[in-house]
Amino acid sequence: MINRNLAKVLSFRYKILALVLILIAGSLVFLPKYAKHEGIDPESALANAISPERYISADELAHKIIGQDPSILIIDLREIERFEAYSIPGAINIPLAKILEEEGKTYLEQDAYEIILYSEENFYADQAWMLCNRIGYNNLRVLEGGMNSWFNSVINPPVPTDQMPATAFDLYSFRKSASMYFGVGYAEAIQEVKEAPKPKAKPKQVVPVKKKKKKVPEGGC
Amino acid sequence: MKELEKTKRISIAAVLSILIVLIALLNYQRPKYLYTQNTSKTLTKLLQTDYLVTTDDMNGNGTELIDVRNPFDFEKGHIEGAVNVYAPELLSDKHADFLERIKKENKTVLIYGQDPDQALSVFMSLCQLGIGEPRILSTRNFFEKDQLITESVAVEKEAPNVSLFIETSVKNASKIQNASQAKKTVKKTPQPKQVSPVKKKKKKVPEGGC
Repeated sequence: MINRNLAKVLSFRYKILALVLILIAGSLVFLPKYAKHEGIDPESALANAISPERYISADELAHKIIGQDPSILIIDLREIERFEAYSIPGAINIPLAKILEEEGKTYLEQDAYEIILYSEENFYADQAWMLCNRIGYNNLRVLEGGMNSWFNSVINPPVPTDQMPATAFDLYSFRKSASMYFGVGYAEAIQEVKEAPKPKAKPKQVVPVKKKKKKVPEGGC
Repeated sequence: MKELEKTKRISIAAVLSILIVLIALLNYQRPKYLYTQNTSKTLTKLLQTDYLVTTDDMNGNGTELIDVRNPFDFEKGHIEGAVNVYAPELLSDKHADFLERIKKENKTVLIYGQDPDQALSVFMSLCQLGIGEPRILSTRNFFEKDQLITESVAVEKEAPNVSLFIETSVKNASKIQNASQAKKTVKKTPQPKQVSPVKKKKKKVPEGGC
């Protein structure tokens, strides 16, 4: 009697064993994710961090803004007071502390735009870039030199000296017109415009006054 | 007969599962470096900005000084006591023992490069991997007459007030514009239309006659 009962139970033993295994395997799904090791592996994160590919120069950015490139999104990582004092036209303010919060995520986690991060220099922007790169956000760029380089090259470009090559003058004229686009007034620019037509002024009109030949007095008898 | 078939099936299944486990074990490689800090923890660490140190804080015992510039520049000149860890080679086998030691002893690591920006990538890696206590030496290192010059720099110094600059430039420009316009109006008066005076000769009544 006992043996028969035992045999009955034992005939199920494989099924029970299989069930236990399946249950254990199923429980793996409910394990919490290993939160610490999020994102790409450290080796590729380091390689990406070293590569200067992420940098965009202030001139390039100015060119894009003036050309009204619809694919760019500029993000200001500075504190709100600094952002309100001055920001690059079209920029959105997300302070560095908030980039990983929901507010930052909505802007940073997408593929549609080319996002340009900037801060006072590029130190904080680089940090933000490296964190975002680790999580796997795409299409992020960093304004090289940040606000300082924006001011020194686009808003207030240095005047090239006479010894400089022609490219320096071309660059200067681009930067100057860019800065005028961003609202800087140039005294000399206005003067130049005035001076320009002067040399074009018509040369003195010499009206050839034909000398009338003295006529021998007519008449006479 | 039936019993035999059953055992056959079971043994085949057992062998297969053992094989799978073996293959999995053989293929399993523990990654050499694992993050110990997630991104939000790293960010809070970054926001404290106490990781930026100056050369005055350098003379501490039990600290390691890391030079992340390339070996060529390192040979040319480096801060005394520095170890050269070229940034791209940080996680290679070359420096594995070095990093292991730092991790074990939980040393403070001072990192410097040409500028703080260059040291940042190594700093971020060490920070997220939890190796030692990384710090950035906020200095600029450059060569002048083949001599290494170390100069303290401020990180993220504020840009000049751009809106103020734009306002003043516009004001100045409009001032000069007004001035030159005034000049223009003055100038206008002495410059009357140039009329070339072609004197009409009076028709002379033919002279002569009796």
